[in-house]
Amino acid sequence: MATIVERPSVVRRRRFGETYIGSWIMTTDHKKIGIMYIVTGFFAFLVGGMEALLIRTQLAIPNGHVLGPEVYNEVFTMHGTTMIFLFVMPTLAGFGNYIVPLMIGARDMAFPRINAFGYWLVLFGALFLNASFLFIGPNGFSSAPNGGWFYYAPLSEQQFGCGVAGVVGCVNADFWALGILMLGISSIAGSLNFVVTILRLRAPGMTMNRIPLFTWMTLITAFLLLFALPSVTAAAGLLLLDRHLGTHFFQAAFGGDPLLWQHLFWSFGHPEVYILILPAFGIISEVLPVFSRKPIFGYTFIAWSGVAIGFLSFTVWAHHMFAVGLPPIAQAFFATSTTLIAIPTAVKIFNWVATVYGGKVSLKAPMLFALGFIAMFLIGGLNGAALAVVPFDYQVTDTYFVVSHLHYVLFGGTVFGIFAGFYYWFPKMTGKLLSDGWGQVQFWLMLIGVNLTFFPMHILGILGMPRRIYTYPGNLGYNELNLMASVGAFIIALAILVFMYNVIVSLRSGKEAGTDPWDAFTLEWDTPSPPKVYNFLSIPVVRSRRPFYDKKNPDIADWKTATH
Amino acid sequence: MSEEQDQSQVSGQPQRTPAKAGGSKSKSKSREAREQAISPQQSVWPFVLAIALVVLLIGFIIHPIVLGIGVVLVAAAIIGWGLERR
Repeated sequence: MATIVERPSVVRRRRFGETYIGSWIMTTDHKKIGIMYIVTGFFAFLVGGMEALLIRTQLAIPNGHVLGPEVYNEVFTMHGTTMIFLFVMPTLAGFGNYIVPLMIGARDMAFPRINAFGYWLVLFGALFLNASFLFIGPNGFSSAPNGGWFYYAPLSEQQFGCGVAGVVGCVNADFWALGILMLGISSIAGSLNFVVTILRLRAPGMTMNRIPLFTWMTLITAFLLLFALPSVTAAAGLLLLDRHLGTHFFQAAFGGDPLLWQHLFWSFGHPEVYILILPAFGIISEVLPVFSRKPIFGYTFIAWSGVAIGFLSFTVWAHHMFAVGLPPIAQAFFATSTTLIAIPTAVKIFNWVATVYGGKVSLKAPMLFALGFIAMFLIGGLNGAALAVVPFDYQVTDTYFVVSHLHYVLFGGTVFGIFAGFYYWFPKMTGKLLSDGWGQVQFWLMLIGVNLTFFPMHILGILGMPRRIYTYPGNLGYNELNLMASVGAFIIALAILVFMYNVIVSLRSGKEAGTDPWDAFTLEWDTPSPPKVYNFLSIPVVRSRRPFYDKKNPDIADWKTATH
Repeated sequence: MSEEQDQSQVSGQPQRTPAKAGGSKSKSKSREAREQAISPQQSVWPFVLAIALVVLLIGFIIHPIVLGIGVVLVAAAIIGWGLERR
């Protein structure tokens, strides 16, 4: 009698890269890296937002006691550092990572492993910077950076860095300088990747005159980072030499020059403002045409005005330094260049308005945020032009007027642009639609909150309230305006809670998005939602600026009528 | 109309990667092979190098020995990255 012996089946052990966690840690897929950037950026947004709420709670009433002066310095410094380096930059890099290769018909970024390295540096850089709260310094407070996101010398030097007279040896500035160096390496890795990807991996037929405007703005941003980062890297390096090897680059008492720091920092810092806003310009330039059912108006002008902004952004840095006593000729130069940069910016705004004008406008959440972006950014641009006028700048320099200006640009502008991008591309990334109803609630709460928070700051600035103070007496006429601003901040926080609820509910039980929920124009929508790991089995061939529109409408394809 | 359904219709021109002839089984096999070939390969070294850099920076703050460990780790990660087979 024959017996059947079952041979044990050979079970291969799963490799680390095949486990769930391993697949994320070892990934080089630009889409996964993009999602990790965005999720990390959003967590940083929550941290920076909570720091903002602490600031606004402290300033809601005069003589506040929520935070002491030492902790307040750390909180406002980390708020700025977190929002700029850990929220806005990574989130925009995340959108670029996810969307740009799909938009240009590429299978991945040019250097996938360097791309992954750039992300991990951001994550660990964020942890490193925030770990500073856990280190108690010789002044009895934590070692979080405490000299502002610009970290002016000589306050960053060993003898002043503790913020307490006679106490030395604090490492607050070291955390900041090393963190910035680390994030700078990440940005350079990411920028090189974007430049090579966009210049070398475009689908056949996708000429520079046909690449989507988000890709254009990402390319310009990448160049700005490559040219702007060296100066802040050099500055941080010199600061570390001053602090640890006894050099005197920034110490006037030993023949150094504190203003050198300001020049080095702001020759990075002002291009940085455009690094933070240009990708948002790109997002808006994608959303407006789709929700107006028209091609973008003035594609060439929008693209080349972005290039003009990029060039001019390197000529305006000393408008941050009018009050230091620059000679009149330098003041005239920087006032003129700052005013000039308003021209290409206005060109963009005219083109966006002309795109919407006469279109079949659909006021879905992405479109609302895009329109909100234009309105808020316009306010930020106009009060920025006011700050370019030197005598006016003298009056309001380092007051809440400047805080109002930068938040209208970076919150009213960039953050609205980021949310337009979230609502627009979330279906592509997850396969689910975000609830439009909750999106509308979030938009109106944010619009009210932003204006309630930041508009009164114009008046506070003109009344003379200095920025970076941890409290104020009750007899200066600041009380009601500060309370309004604080109420507005909590309304913004409510809007963000609505967004988080929307994301969770939509991921669990949201409507299936399908491949093309918005009837869009560009190639990323010509893939499944979410796209396969290789993006395109066959590389598409492009013959116009709206390749997916052409595919869906072969009879009226752009390439049959348009010359580009 | 998704990319998989009709990739060739983007501009009415033929697709760049023509499908190989053959039965459906061999077709799906060749597609799988091509999918693997065009998908990005995983690597742990970017993660390791980033961690090594953080150790180095923390060492800069807290103690030279940790700094030295960080330097060794960074060097090891760079070598590992360079030697990785692609």
